[in-house]
Amino acid sequence: MKIEFTLNHSKVTVDRPPEHRLIDVLRDEFGLKSLKEGCGEGECGACSVLLDGKTVASCILPLGRVHGHAIETIEGIRNSESFTAIQEAFKKAGAVQCGFCTPGMVISTEALIRQNTNPTKVDIRNAISGNLCRCTGYHMILEGIRLAVQKREER
Amino acid sequence: MSEGYIPKTLEEALEIRKSAKVIPIAGGSDLMVQHRREGGVAPGFEEPLLLLNEIEDLKTLRTDGDKIVIGAGVSLNELVNNNHLPYIVRETARQMAAVTTRNIATIGGNICNASPAADTLPFLYATNATLVLQSADKKREIPVEEFITGPGQSCLQSDELLIEVRIPKEHFDVEYYRKVGTRKAMALSKISFAGLAAFSNGKLSDIRIAIGAVAPKVVRDKALEGLLKGLSKEEIKNKIPEIRARYEKLIQPIDDARSTKEYRKTVSLDLIKDFIEERVLKKMSH
Amino acid sequence: MGKTISSSIPRLDADKKISGQAEYIADMVMDDFMHARTIRSEKAHAKIKAIHLPELPEGYTVIDKKDIPGNNRMQTVVSDHPLFAEAEVHYIGQPILLITGPSKEKTVELAEKVQLDYKELPAVTDMEEALSENEVHVNYQYAKGNPDAVFDNASKTITDEYRTGQPEHLYLETNGVIATCHSGRITIYGSIQCPFFVKNAVVEATGFAPEQIQVIQTVTGGAFGGKEEYPSLLAAQAAVASLKTGKPVRLILDRKEDIEATTKRHPSLLRYKASLNNKNEITGIDIDITFDGGAYATISPVVLQRAMFTSTGVYGFPNIRVTGRVVKTNKAPSGAFRGFGAPQVLFGIEQFMNRLAAEAGVSSLAFKRQYFLKKGDTTSTGGKMWADIKIREIVDKITGMSNYKQTKTNSGKNRGIGISLFLHGCGFTGKGEVDISGEVILKKRGNKVSILTSNVEMGQGASTTLIKIVAHSLSIPEKDVDFVKQDTDAVPDSGPTVASRTAMIIGGLVKKACNKLLDKWEQEEAEVKEVYKHPGYVTWDNDTFQGDAYPVYSWGANVAEVEADPVTCEVEVKKLWGVYDIGVALDEDIIRGQMQGGMVQGLGFAYLEKLTSRKGKFNQLNLTDYTIPTSVDVPEIECDFVENPYEFGPYGAKCAGELPLSGVAPALAEAVEQALGMEVRKIPMTPEYLKARKNED
Repeated sequence: MKIEFTLNHSKVTVDRPPEHRLIDVLRDEFGLKSLKEGCGEGECGACSVLLDGKTVASCILPLGRVHGHAIETIEGIRNSESFTAIQEAFKKAGAVQCGFCTPGMVISTEALIRQNTNPTKVDIRNAISGNLCRCTGYHMILEGIRLAVQKREER
Repeated sequence: MSEGYIPKTLEEALEIRKSAKVIPIAGGSDLMVQHRREGGVAPGFEEPLLLLNEIEDLKTLRTDGDKIVIGAGVSLNELVNNNHLPYIVRETARQMAAVTTRNIATIGGNICNASPAADTLPFLYATNATLVLQSADKKREIPVEEFITGPGQSCLQSDELLIEVRIPKEHFDVEYYRKVGTRKAMALSKISFAGLAAFSNGKLSDIRIAIGAVAPKVVRDKALEGLLKGLSKEEIKNKIPEIRARYEKLIQPIDDARSTKEYRKTVSLDLIKDFIEERVLKKMSH
Repeated sequence: MGKTISSSIPRLDADKKISGQAEYIADMVMDDFMHARTIRSEKAHAKIKAIHLPELPEGYTVIDKKDIPGNNRMQTVVSDHPLFAEAEVHYIGQPILLITGPSKEKTVELAEKVQLDYKELPAVTDMEEALSENEVHVNYQYAKGNPDAVFDNASKTITDEYRTGQPEHLYLETNGVIATCHSGRITIYGSIQCPFFVKNAVVEATGFAPEQIQVIQTVTGGAFGGKEEYPSLLAAQAAVASLKTGKPVRLILDRKEDIEATTKRHPSLLRYKASLNNKNEITGIDIDITFDGGAYATISPVVLQRAMFTSTGVYGFPNIRVTGRVVKTNKAPSGAFRGFGAPQVLFGIEQFMNRLAAEAGVSSLAFKRQYFLKKGDTTSTGGKMWADIKIREIVDKITGMSNYKQTKTNSGKNRGIGISLFLHGCGFTGKGEVDISGEVILKKRGNKVSILTSNVEMGQGASTTLIKIVAHSLSIPEKDVDFVKQDTDAVPDSGPTVASRTAMIIGGLVKKACNKLLDKWEQEEAEVKEVYKHPGYVTWDNDTFQGDAYPVYSWGANVAEVEADPVTCEVEVKKLWGVYDIGVALDEDIIRGQMQGGMVQGLGFAYLEKLTSRKGKFNQLNLTDYTIPTSVDVPEIECDFVENPYEFGPYGAKCAGELPLSGVAPALAEAVEQALGMEVRKIPMTPEYLKARKNED
């Protein structure tokens, strides 16, 4: 079935059954390796992508669901000012250890920043409630997000 | 066999539903997990998918006279963020899953999956909500408790789709939702407790209790609620042991990966008592 | 560079990870992959009567025990785990064979069609049943003083027992390897803590010479001990498969099989006995440790040893007996997991000391203080506490930070506060470091220096830390220091990335190598090697377990404040404090990240992560049911440090990585006991456990 969607700002068409997992289409067909498979059941968020600007788990998203919609991955936002702010903030806060959850955290941070210019501490915790981390204990990531929001406001 | 369908209108969807064997799917957060296969490959569905996310008619959020109408395709996060919805709806949705899932999971999907632990069901039962089901030929509206027929089972016909949920607009003095989950986010419920109450002239005019995840279907007993209506504070207090004993018969939990039947039973009975004493009685004027 | 080495710098591996460009094993692409899928036992104990395979199309192959050219065993401390099951299977999830093929989808489809016929055999799946039937992999005992005499003369004997559960590492990246063969060599890529362990295991399985095997570590998405020995099994299987098919074989576990079949922490049953004199002073202590090792011994003897040597905690007692055993059950083998036996026994000793304090009618902290070790004291194994011990300073600091004493006497309804004291022996137990004799090489080219070591970066900050040591020692910028990729063709064997040894032992070698390199600095090119030598003061007899089990220890204290819901017995952790002596921090942010991460894993161990089984079948096989803390679950955390430079550690550093996990469970237990008014004898202290106990009491 022809599924058409926007991927990192370019229109693409994929001919596959609609139940195929978006994660497989993105990683295998488009070579977008930034998103990772940590659980295959939508629980860990390592596969997070932006669907119309909202953070979703691509491992349980059927391809058919994105027909006519916009998908962004880190590869698509890497050159933006917003990403640079997140990158600098994460580094300053020590938010990265093994890095496997990091792309998902970046995606969820980007989603938060787009939707909420003045998130509270609770908003920040909730923004990554679907992204598990096993290394950091979350606090340095939360600080990284807080700094990223601050950097965005300064621009 | 078609690979799948992505209809743009409700009419189109209902025609497909009438003529083909399909699996309706909205966000997919339940169905993609239920049909997943190990090894990092595509899930296995026995029939083609009927994807519902493009149908605007399913995404309505409006008032219709004395009813609040929520389209089956409305996502859980949309429920959280809509301040016109009753507190109990927003609070329940807020505690479901996590942000990533709430962005695509829909209220319709949660209802039709009909899990005994489905979190939207307790408030739907408690508010006396009705469901609108439609096929190409007809439309019907039934109470939610008639729709759910057993664990994972509903009376949705093979040519029907769930269109919308209708919740009567009523005022309550107490709106209480308590989820006892495996952790604070991304958690399945061990107990999902919804409680509503209203007062009139110092007496309890209405009380509703609906508990999910502790029996094959949501536990709600209107007769038991009726025992408390019209009573004063003192009278209600004295009725609690009887109420507890009668709910005990209705609560039939199981042991599973998440919790034990002893815990579910003991705690849900304690939550009923706690709701009546701490939430309702404390708020009633003397 | 910062003012001192402790000043944080941005991690040097962060950019690639943040931009999604770091290449993990599942990201590697090769043209002609064979995807491998493992067929696993569905029975806890059975004879395999028949294996019914579907018809295999061209290009699809079965790999099983018959294909192993060398030894069908996973090489480790005890090499008893078959790579592929032989006549019998001994645990649910045990690998029996691989199916490989060019299409992942087809390989999975074929694997789903494999049917096995079993003849079921009696299975022992419960630790206490195994104990009563004396099904034991290994047992040890040691003593100090004359425990029998004091127990005979005790005014009072107090006993108690505690249980700990079976947490799973839950690294976000599952176990995985790729094996390729070409020109008579085999190359393994993988998510690996110990490249040379893997190399040795592949040599064992294939019969190839060591020069013919190459192991390359890929960016590793978390390990925590779960990739210490297990990759040896996967690499050996994949290597054999690659030899048979002549193609690269990709063996990446999915989450369910990773939880089910790979190693987890040893569950424990801990029994304590103390003899008290008529002043309620402890004259002797007897500790009995049972660990559930699962179906094969593998690394259990070493885990048990560390547990036994750590079992007296931060305390000195005049008369001690410690007995330990690892029992055999028909479950997946238990293995290394951050703390390596210490978290279990530290929970037990803290709980027991609280019990004894209650018996003595004294507050737990006041009681424990009397027994704190100090410099010069004899250890439980007759060695010596050679270095300064700052446990008293740590306690003063943490009680101040947390207001422990005031809150203890006045916590409020349904609230409680608890404190724990704990330690971790640095580096390998006993003579382990001497046996390894790890090597590090530094190479100079112009103004640039490369670090060659087999110790890997697995998220814990090894690469940045070791680079900083070189940068500071040689006064060159970090950007001129290269942490060479862990390729066994290129780096020497410094030993495995375990036992919190990388900063202290490897860092120590790196620092010494830098001193040598300074002498050669004028040369355009130079190379220096440093080989590990135990500090002269350390003595150890591995046959009698007498002497210095560890050259030095790191120390810590945790305080936990909780509020419990009396109806649901759900525990809300309001705040966690940690104060640590890890010598000197080689990078404050990296150390803080390790402490916070370790504490949150400790929280999981203490109350949130439940892995139960019924007849050898685990009940929580996905992330929905095996619940690690989320961002919404973590409490506020405050960490601080007491500096205590170690003479033999680089810049004074000691071990850090494992220490922070151990203290959370006992601190939480004491807090919950106060909040709910009951005793906690088991972790994870789930609401189900607490509610049932509350109703009993």
